[in-house]
Amino acid sequence: MAQVTVPVARPGSHRLRRARSRVPIWHMLWVVLGALFFLVPIYSVVEFSLQGILPGQNVFHWYLTVFDDPNFRSAFWLSVQISLETVAASLVLMVPTVFWVHLRLPGLRPVMDLVSVLPFVVPPIVLIVGLAPFIKSLSIWLFVRPEVLSLIYVVFALPFMYRALDAGLRAIDLQTLTEAAESLGASLPRTLVRVIIPNLRAAIIGGSLLAVAISMGEFTVASLMGFNTFSVYTFDIGMSTAYEGVALTFVSFLLVWGIMLALYLLGRGGAGAAAVAITDEKK
Amino acid sequence: MVVAEFSETGLPQDVIVGDVTRKRSHTRRWAFLGMLPFVAFITMFLLIPTGEIIVGAFRTVNGAFTLSNIDDIFHAPYPAAFEFSVELSALSALIGGIFGFLLANAILHHGVPRWIRPAYISFSGMAANFAGVPLAFAYGATLGSLGVITVLLKHLGLNIYPAFSLQGLFGAALVYAYFQFPLMILLMVPVIEGLRTEWRESASNLGAGAFTFWRHIGLPIITPSLLGLMVLLFGNALSAYATAEALGISNLVTIDIAQLVDGNMTLNPQAAYALALGMIVIIIVTITIYSLLQRRTSRWLR
Amino acid sequence: MTTVALRGISRRFGSVSALDHLDLEVGDAEFVSLLGPSGCGKTTALRIVAGFEWPDSGEVLVDGQDVLGKPANKRNMGMVFQAYSLFPNLTAQQNVEFGLRVRKQNRETRAKRAQELLDLVGLATAMERYPRQLSGGQQQRVALARSLAIEPSVLLLDEPLSALDAKVRVQLREEVRRIQSELGITTLYVTHDQEEALSISDRVAVMSAGRVEQFGTPAEIYSGPRTAFVANFVGTMNKLEGKVVSREDRVVRCGPILLSVPDPTFNHQAGETVELFLRPEDISLELLSKGETPPSGLFEGRVTSLTFLGPVTRVGLATDLGLLLADVSSAVALNLAADTVVAVKLDSTSLRSITA
Repeated sequence: MAQVTVPVARPGSHRLRRARSRVPIWHMLWVVLGALFFLVPIYSVVEFSLQGILPGQNVFHWYLTVFDDPNFRSAFWLSVQISLETVAASLVLMVPTVFWVHLRLPGLRPVMDLVSVLPFVVPPIVLIVGLAPFIKSLSIWLFVRPEVLSLIYVVFALPFMYRALDAGLRAIDLQTLTEAAESLGASLPRTLVRVIIPNLRAAIIGGSLLAVAISMGEFTVASLMGFNTFSVYTFDIGMSTAYEGVALTFVSFLLVWGIMLALYLLGRGGAGAAAVAITDEKK
Repeated sequence: MVVAEFSETGLPQDVIVGDVTRKRSHTRRWAFLGMLPFVAFITMFLLIPTGEIIVGAFRTVNGAFTLSNIDDIFHAPYPAAFEFSVELSALSALIGGIFGFLLANAILHHGVPRWIRPAYISFSGMAANFAGVPLAFAYGATLGSLGVITVLLKHLGLNIYPAFSLQGLFGAALVYAYFQFPLMILLMVPVIEGLRTEWRESASNLGAGAFTFWRHIGLPIITPSLLGLMVLLFGNALSAYATAEALGISNLVTIDIAQLVDGNMTLNPQAAYALALGMIVIIIVTITIYSLLQRRTSRWLR
Repeated sequence: MTTVALRGISRRFGSVSALDHLDLEVGDAEFVSLLGPSGCGKTTALRIVAGFEWPDSGEVLVDGQDVLGKPANKRNMGMVFQAYSLFPNLTAQQNVEFGLRVRKQNRETRAKRAQELLDLVGLATAMERYPRQLSGGQQQRVALARSLAIEPSVLLLDEPLSALDAKVRVQLREEVRRIQSELGITTLYVTHDQEEALSISDRVAVMSAGRVEQFGTPAEIYSGPRTAFVANFVGTMNKLEGKVVSREDRVVRCGPILLSVPDPTFNHQAGETVELFLRPEDISLELLSKGETPPSGLFEGRVTSLTFLGPVTRVGLATDLGLLLADVSSAVALNLAADTVVAVKLDSTSLRSITA
């Protein structure tokens, strides 16, 4: 073998470093363009909401005007109320059901997986076309009360709630926990409340936050059924005073951002929770 | 329907262990009772409404059988609305899908700074949920006739109006992309992470560059997932109503349905039933095409 | 003709040093194994040769030319990974053809070559199958065929058999060796399995903490370990601690017993503490009748355990030197039981001394 002398590369020599990490120009370009696509509308919203203000008025004039409007307050509180009712109804329906399926009817899990996807396949507007006359024929009293929205939102929250609880229950050793509690003399409902639910806290909070996000932003059903919720109010005010509508848009943005941040901080990445819910569904 | 499926599913064979067996078999018959609230809820809020649509689409206001509702959707303005709905959904799914894929791939690249990945993923989680009325207003503030960017471009001597409009196909698709594209990123990241390092390194070892790897290995492997996600995005866009309504788009199926049932749900529910059925048919057709394509592109999976 | 040389290769991951001035020379058509426990840097070294990692310093020479500036896809090296490296969307044949397709060879050439190679690895009948329809062993055969298809200058194998069943592993390693000698291809093989390394390599580099502890033929490594690490890592060793009594006469005192160490490399000062290593097969036993004392040069041992290993039985012995392991023919072992007292004989020519 012929001995060829080659200079020994010193640490950090240019030759080595170049070979190791070619700067991924194309990838960086996409990253920057994507960031612009995301951020430009948000910047525009902020900018726009601070325009159209007369001399002497507060810079946050449009925000203050909206917040002062009693109609805004009632719409916002209506949405908050509906959101909380949605969460409560979802939990009351889904926690025992998913618990029961895991404990006693695991063979039903594929069916549950399928059923929980249905609300995602049926568009809300299609659902409401079929559902509204049915509810109306059932009970006019319910038809005009905001609680009806909560019940319908339980359907929209179902895929997310089911995924969160299903994942949460899969993560704990349900069989052992339950048998241990039963052997200590606890009844099944007591086991559920005292043992299982505390162990499912993260899943329950995660599912609930997504339910809140859905309920606060839902527009289709609320507007068609004639309820003045937060998003319906935003729509109406935006149609009359664009500045106020855009100011509320920023408020909505902060709201969604806050919920997603809460999910993110909850661990396992809140964005992930939503994504997992949807990813699994398509199976 | 669901009840029938319960009995087909049969007994949960895989869980019965040890001494709980006896107790389990006693209570199994009763175990289904625990499902009653859920079954009742799904029936009332999902199955009956769907059934109502299918039946209602073939009935007159008085309940007699008719095909005239179905016939209606083949007459103006509905065919155009269906066409625009499908075009807009397909275009936004395509834009969101392609760029979402490229971006998911970019943020996973080892040469891209580490902090970009969690930043993008958490922001995508937000943006994927930021749809509806606020999104439409946000774009109005950005690219509407008085939008910040529109005005900025005008100052720079570029007047995008009237060539561009947020109500047109491309404008609306751009708005929809704001929730489609991040949704695609969220769903695509795990798919791309599923491409094993060994495959990239083997390809590289055998002389392939990045392009050859993607063409022969990477893309064929992720195509089934890619198709599935595109279908999801398509359905996502198809069912959008709030964004379209707040943008002021007029010739969309969801908008037409809303106009027919607005107020007290009394205007012309029969035609609304037919349009809703039309949407269900589109979704079923899409899913069918998808599963046919899926079968062709994933031969190696079986 | 291809030679590979690693010169002064260092690589740190954060504060961990994966490779520390590694030197290694592989001759033409030679089969060299990198043997060591996990985390010793053997895989990093292989990946640096392949072009998937870069050293902080040092050079990799192939036929005297530094290849570090070349990306992996220009190095023309064949690599076989631990598992799951086959492209799942391509059939066995398409997998083998991939490298040729990249090299723009025509369809007939590709098909012919794929057929040849799948024949070579004994899978001619499975050409149309997808990876998931193949067993783990078959997958690795296809992977080997695929890496050979491009007529690589160097063949790199990264624990290619570690995910397989014991039986398939032994069978396949012999085939790897057969194919390697048939093709005369320069080969670097990474493994943590010493039996595997010793049975198929021309030379073995035993690695620890990013360095080569010893580089030699399997026989050299097995019978002449030069460091305590090699002695302990390769095979089973009896370790005796002692003090050197005389440098010239090569005598070491272990407990009450004086041992002469004929090892010509013996080079310790009198008074120095050393460790003496001896394989179990270099200890033999003689049966003693009741009350008999061991003949001169032998010493007494009491049987504490018997482990049947097939043709030999490993006997645990309590002696004045501490607990020793001896391999005796299983036929002889039939006469032994717990607490049997025997005479123990050390084959002193096999004793290796290493400074403690």
